[in-house]
Amino acid sequence: MSEAAGQLMPIAPLRVAIRSNDALRRAALALMVSRSGHLVVGMDEAADVVLADGSGLAGETRSVVRLGGTEDGSQGALPRGADASQIDAAIRAVAAGLIVRAPGPADAGFGAMGEADSHALLTPRELEVLAALAEGMTNKAIARRLDISLHTVKFHMESLFRKLGARTRTEAVAKASERRRRETIML
Amino acid sequence: MTDQKDPLVEFSNALVARTETARNAVAAIRLGHGRHVTGILWPGGVVVASEQALPGREEDFELVGPGGATVASRIAGRDPSTNIAILKPLEIMAAPAIGSAGQARAGAIALAVGADGTGGASARLGIVNRAGPEWHSIRGGLIDQRIVLDLRLAHREEGGPVLDASGLCLGMSTFGPRGQVIVIPTATIERIVPLLLKDGRVARGWLGVALQAVAVPDALRESSDQSSGLMVMSVVEGGPAAQAGIVAGDIILSVDGTPAHRFRRIARHFGSESIGRKSEVRLIRSGAVNTVQVTIAERRT
Repeated sequence: MSEAAGQLMPIAPLRVAIRSNDALRRAALALMVSRSGHLVVGMDEAADVVLADGSGLAGETRSVVRLGGTEDGSQGALPRGADASQIDAAIRAVAAGLIVRAPGPADAGFGAMGEADSHALLTPRELEVLAALAEGMTNKAIARRLDISLHTVKFHMESLFRKLGARTRTEAVAKASERRRRETIML
Repeated sequence: MTDQKDPLVEFSNALVARTETARNAVAAIRLGHGRHVTGILWPGGVVVASEQALPGREEDFELVGPGGATVASRIAGRDPSTNIAILKPLEIMAAPAIGSAGQARAGAIALAVGADGTGGASARLGIVNRAGPEWHSIRGGLIDQRIVLDLRLAHREEGGPVLDASGLCLGMSTFGPRGQVIVIPTATIERIVPLLLKDGRVARGWLGVALQAVAVPDALRESSDQSSGLMVMSVVEGGPAAQAGIVAGDIILSVDGTPAHRFRRIARHFGSESIGRKSEVRLIRSGAVNTVQVTIAERRT
């Protein structure tokens, strides 16, 4: 079982160049990509895949995973808010020569309002910790931003992992964004 | 000769007969590029369809009625919150009388009928996989019963009638999440169609906020007397909440005294009758419980 799973892992990490006009966003994407086991390189270096915010990479000869923007023939196209696991899957897929498209609203189906179990509801503080986590901040940086002790950050982190059923920081961010997508109510 | 008494043959013949009857109740709604979806000929001279299956920008659709005659039609109303749209054919299309089935029960036979695009019908047979209580859609619409079918459906068949074993109409077929086939119950359609005929839409109350359920911090449980609330994630500029000074980060505890533990509880407060009402919204802001007054507006679509 574990041997078979091991064979599915890529032998060499993929080289991924990231294009975004927003430095913070670029840093968050770079962190997401490197945590998935890929190597982040500069836009003018040799890369297997380009991860780009929005469309408009005319003349790019490498495989592109586009986040948001409009249809421009990129090999991969995900919504702007795609989570780490989707971005990782898209990078691997386009590097393998596949085309990736996310289902549109028409494919999503007519669904019920999602409501979390009351024991799994996050507190406002946990949501703040989560937002910092999504930006790739370390526990120390989170403690500084929220003006709380490192011990308290660890306490919130444990509670977050438990409520979200996540084992890693990346998984926690992915699960929380999925939950937010399903459970946000427009009123 | 013994065929006549063979229960399986009788069962099959009964399904054929039902499908032939239902053929007169379906129309193909042409979408262009040779594609179509299904609509139900509904009493009152309208065609009921699945709102999500119709392109948002289009107003005019060609219908293929029973027998294959084409009729022009125009959208007369759509309600994304219950996934119901109605089209008005420009020529009269007779709707056969199909009785309304009562509550669906898990295990019961379900026959889903679609329009084949040339005036005939296509059929899908399955059973009711799950029958549950009423539910709220992600857009806040109330659906009278949860009905999940175990059958497969083609996209062109979405919006057709789903019949029970006695040939009564359980409702309209549509796709739920992950390709699941669900039914919008007849009771919901009967409730929404008159509203759509009157106004072209179903008016709902609106605050102009995006909300997420959160746990109330321990320190505030006593003063707020609640363990959960709805946190404001964003505020629509110029909307009723923004005008009342509600900001992102506020945690709504109750609306006019109804606790906002869960959206379901307060959903009923935002029906068409709520528009223009001055509501008391109790909320937590910067660690203290406050009350603000908000004038509920009509939801923009």
